[in-house]
Order: sequence, then structure tokens, then C-alpha cells
Amino acid sequence: MVARLEVSQLSKSFPGVRALDDVSMAVEPGEIRALLGENGAGKSTLGKIVAGVYSRTGGEVRLDGVALGELDEKAAGELGIGIVHQEGSLVPQLSVAENIFAGRQPTKWFGQVDVRLMREKAHALIAQLGVAIDPAMKVAFLSPAQAQIVEIAKALSRELRLLILDEPTAALTLTETEKLFEIVRRLARDGVSVIYVSHRLAEIFALCNSVTVLKDGRLAGTRKVAETTTDELIRLMVGRDVHLARSASSRKTGPIVLEASEVSAPPLVQSASVTVRAGEVVCLAGLIGSGRSEFCEAIFGARARRAGEIRIAGAPINPQGPWDAKHAGIGMVPEDRKTSGLFLGMNLVNNIAATVLSKVSSGANFSNRKAEALAGNFVSELRISTPSVHKIVGELSGGNQQKVLLAKWLAMEPRLLIVDEPTRGVDVGARSEIYRLLRGLAEKGVALLVVSSDLPEVLALADRIVVMAEGRTVGELAGEGATEEQVLRLATRFTSSVADVRKEAVGA
Amino acid sequence: MSVAQISRNEAQAPVEQREALPLRIVRRLANSRELTLFVLVVALALAMTIVYPHNFPTGPNMRAVLLNLAPVGILVCGMMLLMIAGTFDLSVGSTLALSGVWAGVVSGWWGWPAEAALLIGVVVGAVAGLINGLIVTRIGINALIATLGTLTIYRSLTYVTAGTGVTPISDSFAEYGRAADPVLRIQSPFWAMLVLVLIGGWLIARTRFFRQFYFVGGNPRAAQLSGIRVDRLILIGFVIMGALAGIAGVLGAARLNSAVVNAGVGIELKVITATVLGGASLKGGEGTVLGGILGVLFIALIENAMIINAVGVFWQGLVVGLVLLFAVSLDRFKTAGRA
Repeated sequence: MVARLEVSQLSKSFPGVRALDDVSMAVEPGEIRALLGENGAGKSTLGKIVAGVYSRTGGEVRLDGVALGELDEKAAGELGIGIVHQEGSLVPQLSVAENIFAGRQPTKWFGQVDVRLMREKAHALIAQLGVAIDPAMKVAFLSPAQAQIVEIAKALSRELRLLILDEPTAALTLTETEKLFEIVRRLARDGVSVIYVSHRLAEIFALCNSVTVLKDGRLAGTRKVAETTTDELIRLMVGRDVHLARSASSRKTGPIVLEASEVSAPPLVQSASVTVRAGEVVCLAGLIGSGRSEFCEAIFGARARRAGEIRIAGAPINPQGPWDAKHAGIGMVPEDRKTSGLFLGMNLVNNIAATVLSKVSSGANFSNRKAEALAGNFVSELRISTPSVHKIVGELSGGNQQKVLLAKWLAMEPRLLIVDEPTRGVDVGARSEIYRLLRGLAEKGVALLVVSSDLPEVLALADRIVVMAEGRTVGELAGEGATEEQVLRLATRFTSSVADVRKEAVGA
Repeated sequence: MSVAQISRNEAQAPVEQREALPLRIVRRLANSRELTLFVLVVALALAMTIVYPHNFPTGPNMRAVLLNLAPVGILVCGMMLLMIAGTFDLSVGSTLALSGVWAGVVSGWWGWPAEAALLIGVVVGAVAGLINGLIVTRIGINALIATLGTLTIYRSLTYVTAGTGVTPISDSFAEYGRAADPVLRIQSPFWAMLVLVLIGGWLIARTRFFRQFYFVGGNPRAAQLSGIRVDRLILIGFVIMGALAGIAGVLGAARLNSAVVNAGVGIELKVITATVLGGASLKGGEGTVLGGILGVLFIALIENAMIINAVGVFWQGLVVGLVLLFAVSLDRFKTAGRA
């Protein structure tokens, strides 16, 4: 039998970097192959070469035995190779349907776009993912999860032979992820081969038949999923053992730092309350759209509040903007580091100095020397791998960008640090370092409020878990001994009577 | 040794390799717009000195060049600040005329002291800038459209105020635009520009307050979430821009002893050209006043060369446009070298 995809001795160089070096692999029809590796290992690059996004420097790619020449994304699409990108490839100003059929809209006479047919087709594609999104809606109004679903629908809109999914679940909830898995399995049953790029080991074991591990652009090994273990894969991936498990902590918590009660910031935050003590890690769990991030933004002054009280160390504050919250000693690491966290075109020095301009100035003068020293300290303290503090942040890997973003807020030495999705799009190695860092902060007496959609992460980090659903805080669990099931039950069993759920939570 | 350390060492090795000298020079030039422009300005001045020894390096010609670039040079400081913050102001030419006319009215028609006229002219400019800033930040209208609107509004207000202009204004007022230094005998608008460029250059390059504008332009949302008051800074930027247009307007009116209603028509494009040539990007987050003023100087030299050469005025736009496109295309090389 001819392999669906056969990659042999594939190499790719970017100026100064060898992203892929002599990588060979073969994927059979109907096989779901995981592509695993740390950020920068070359797994996305491999996917992008196969999908025609990048051209290769050396080697050969065969699809059903036919060697592929130089091809672009459009040509690859016509051959039946679909890709769902890690970073959005949607046009925000256009509708969902237009994005799905970009450049291939069904037409009526004289090239007129048949809007009704296009929307019907888009609706059907999205519906088979088990979700309802209005095809006429502009992509700009979608949540990240919805946008991801549209990306997947876009890939499914063609006759596929090979589907490449690049970190497709980064923005999805568990339910949405399950639906995606069903679709992927169905496609595989129909003979479509799938390359599934991910760092999430649990997903690979749940979904894939086989797994190819890349490390530093080279092939580290290919295994059948049934014959391997998590430990083996992690060893292949990072070359050492990594522990993401909960570390038994003997931290003492101090006085209450944050006390937010019955905060309301319509439409997404109805009535949410939380307290965080010094040295305590409180995780806000809940489904996407439950108002967690918005609640944090309201505390931080980045979202207008209609009601509720916020106290910092007992004193009420009424932040009109992030500057007021910052003044009260609150820092917030936002969810989307690219659009709202970092200055991607600027270097590390400027990024890290952004929250502490007065600290790195003498009088009215900005001091480059002080800013460089500050950035240098964080580079070594957080083990940010960069050739220099003058490197442009947009050129760093995801994990290192996330560390720069953390450094930016650590620089102001916050009393309360809100971290929204601390490890989104970050590889396993960097992830464990970020956990270590957050625990270290708590040990120093910082109050931490962490939002995460990743339940294992919540369970690994939290001293206390506060669950939100539909804009309300609906329950609380002790971090020690909590299970994913308990959290999910609270997050999904929200009824109109919040009090009932609260009682249940206390009972549990 | 940890993974992070290993990869750091690996990352260092290829990047820090030294390149051949000529390549390094090219790269350095491409990476510093100021240096590129400086080399071009010096080269152009030398070439013109050699080719036109009797026309170019003469006192009257130099004085004319420097005096003519004064208004653009003043405006470039403010435009650079706005473009660093990711925005810009198209109404500067109209603001300039409105300020000049108000100064003319106050001094020429009402007979107030010249100092009051100067002050009122600058205040009119600052208020015009404030209105631009309020429209952009409070109402949230895109700067292109907002200042396109005020461009015609302010020009129209200029006509409404003074009809065909105020000529002559008054001798005491004119003195402020005509006074020249004893040594080089260049009139005051140039010296005002020089002082403003030096102060503006220092403020934007060195002070903490103005450093914030780079963050605003680099990523407004991230700046906001870093505790930087984005809207307030943009508002301040527009007020500074308006006040600078006011200064250029009153000095221009004083030098001519005439408040012309058509003053500054089309100057906004010249200013933006010089600002972009000087290293600003429409996306914001980069640029320096030094670059901006070198851009002004470069354009002024090219125009002067064409005047000396008796090349028709019609050709000037073509050359300036080509130079702009060439300079901006250098950025492609810059990013390619960096990746």
C-alpha cells in the first residue's frame, strides 16, 4: 500500500536557523498521526511545508505516491491538503460564511456570489461540528473558541485527503474538544489522514494512532500510541523528566489581599465574588464564555463595573482604568499575549519596562541603562532564552514570549497578580517553568488569581478553585484533592438558582 | 545544564557571527534610518557644492533653503510624535492658516500688542489640536477621517474669519518673523524651528513621559493594559501638534507681515512624507525627531537642486515621491536582515 503522505529527508532553513533537519515520516490513509515537540521543535514548520505555506529547503514530499513540486497553499488545497492554523487565518471584517469559502464562494450568473447558498453550506459545515454559529456574523464578533471552530469548518469545506491540525484545541472547551475529536475520527474512518500537532499529551493518547516526536528540528522518534507512555514521549520531547504534578506545598497564607464582592459588569459578569490571600493561588475555573476573563478585567479596571465592591488589603478601590489598579498594586497578564499583552515589534527591554517606566527613569529621563539591567535580570531569573535583551519579542518562541509577558508584570512587584491563561500555546518544558515561577511568587507572599481553561493546570496550581458559570461565581473547592469531575460538575450544572448550587458545592 | 540554557547557547552562536565589512555597513545603514538619511544629506550637499559651486553654497541660497524648510521642520516634530503613537493629523495646514489669520486679526485689525497676537495664534492652534484629539479619542472617529473633516472645517473658518486675509498686519508683529541673527543673518522662523527640534528631539528620545507614546503606537491595547493612559496621551499629542502648527502659522504670518488664508495648503502631505522618510511607520511605535528633521532637510535639498537646475516645478513631486518609496522599501531589507 502506498502511504498517503511520505516525507523524506525534509529540511527547512530560515536565515540563521535550521528549523527542520533531515526529517522523514510516512502517514497511512485513515491514520491519525500526532506531531509532538516543544515550541520551536519544527512541528508547525513541517505542517506548513506539507500544506504549501512554506517552501522546503531540501527533501521530498509525496502525496499518495506522487511527488509534490513547489506548491502554494491554494495548490495544496486543490490536492486535498487542508490545514487549520494555530494563529487565526480569518479576516475579522468578513462574515463566517465568506471566511469559510474565501476565494471559492458559490456563484450565480455573472459571477455574483450566491450568498444564500454560501450561508446554507457554511451552516451545514458548522452544524456537523455540533455548534451553532450564525454564518452571517462577522468573525470579529466571535470568541476565540468560535473562531477556531470556523477555521476547522473552513478546512472541512474541501474534499480532503490530508488534514493538518495545528494546536486546534488551544482555545476550545472540553466539550468542544470532544466534538472535534469525533469529527477527526469520522474523517479518519472515511480514509482521510490527519496530522495532529499538539503539546497536549492527554489528547494524543485519546485521539491518535501513532505519534512522531520532533526535537530541535530533528526526528526524535515515531511510536505507536498503544505501545508508548507519557513518560517516554516527554523524554523524547525534552530529553529530561518533567513534572507537572502538584507539588505538596506547605505555604502559609497571609492576610486577605483581594476581596471582590458581587461584582457586576454586564453582559458577561452578573455577580461574581472572590477573595485571595497573600501567598495563595486561587484559580478561576469555568467554561469559555463563563465570564472569568471579564471578571478579572473588571477587577483590573479594564472593564466598566456596574456594581460590586473591590477591596485591596481592606481598602476599597474604584479603578477607572488599569493605571488605577496598577497604582493599587494589581498586575494582570492578559489572555492573548499577541494582541493585548506584548509589544511584538519592540525588544525585550522596552516590553519589560512598559509597566515600570518611572522605575527605570532618573527624574524625567528614561534610562536605557536601568531598563537594560532590569530586563537582563529577568532574562536570567526566568530563564528566557534569547540571544540578547535587544531581541525583538515577536521573534521569540511562544513560551519565551509568555515569560517576557510575566516579567513585564513581575517588574512592578504586584501585591496581586492576575494571570489569564498562564500557559496558552506554551510547550511542556516552559509550562513547568511557569508553574514553578507562579508557585515561587506565591511563596514570596504575592496573591495570585489564575484563570485557566486547562483543568490539569487548575488542579496542579490552585490552593483554592472558584468556579464560574454564566457570569456568576457558583462554587468553590479546595485545590488539594479536587478532581476534574468536581470542577466540571460545578461549571456545567449551573441552574437559575445560584444558591442551590452553592449549597451543593459546600456539601461536596 | 538545563534545556533553556542549551538552547540559549545555540541561539547565540549563529547570530553573533561577524559578517564581511561591506555587508555590515549596508546592514547598519539599513537598520538606522537616521544614519542612512544623514549620509544621503551629506552626499547630496557635497555633490551640489561640486556641481553648482556658484549657485548652491552661497549665503542667499542657504538662507532661502533653511528659511523655507522652517514650517515643515516645526510641524515634523508634532507629526513624528503622533505617528509614533500610531496616528496622524491631516489638518495641520489649515490649523497653521487659522492661527496665522487670528494673530493677524488680533494685531492688525484690533491693534493689540504683537505678543498677545502671537500667544492667541498659538492658543488657536492648540485648541484646534484639542478638538482633533477629542474627536479621535472621545468620539472614536479614525484619525484619517476626523482630521480630513477638520482640514476643511479649519480652512473654512480661516476664510470666514478674514476673507482674503490680513495685509499688512503691523510692523511690531512683523518684527517677530523678520528678526535675523547678526552672524548668519537667518530670520527667526528657522531659529524657532531649531530650538523646537532640539527640545522635541530630547523630549521624545529621552523622557519617560514621551517614551509612553512608543508603547501606545506599538500596541495600544497592550499599552492600555500596562496602565498607560492611551487616550490621554493621544489627546496631548494632538494638542502639541496643534500648538506647533500655531507657532508655524504665526511666524509665517509675521515674516510676510501678512496673514494669508491659503497658507499651508498641502503642507500636511509634505510633513507626512518627511516623517515617513525619517523613519516613522503608519503602524506606529517607531521614529525619532532627528530622523524627521533629516527627512525635511533631504527633501529641501532635492527641491533646491531642481530649482538650481531649472527643472520644472512639475518634476519635483515625482522625485520626492520616488525617494520616499525607495526609503520605505529599505525597510524590507531591514526586516529580512533581522529574521
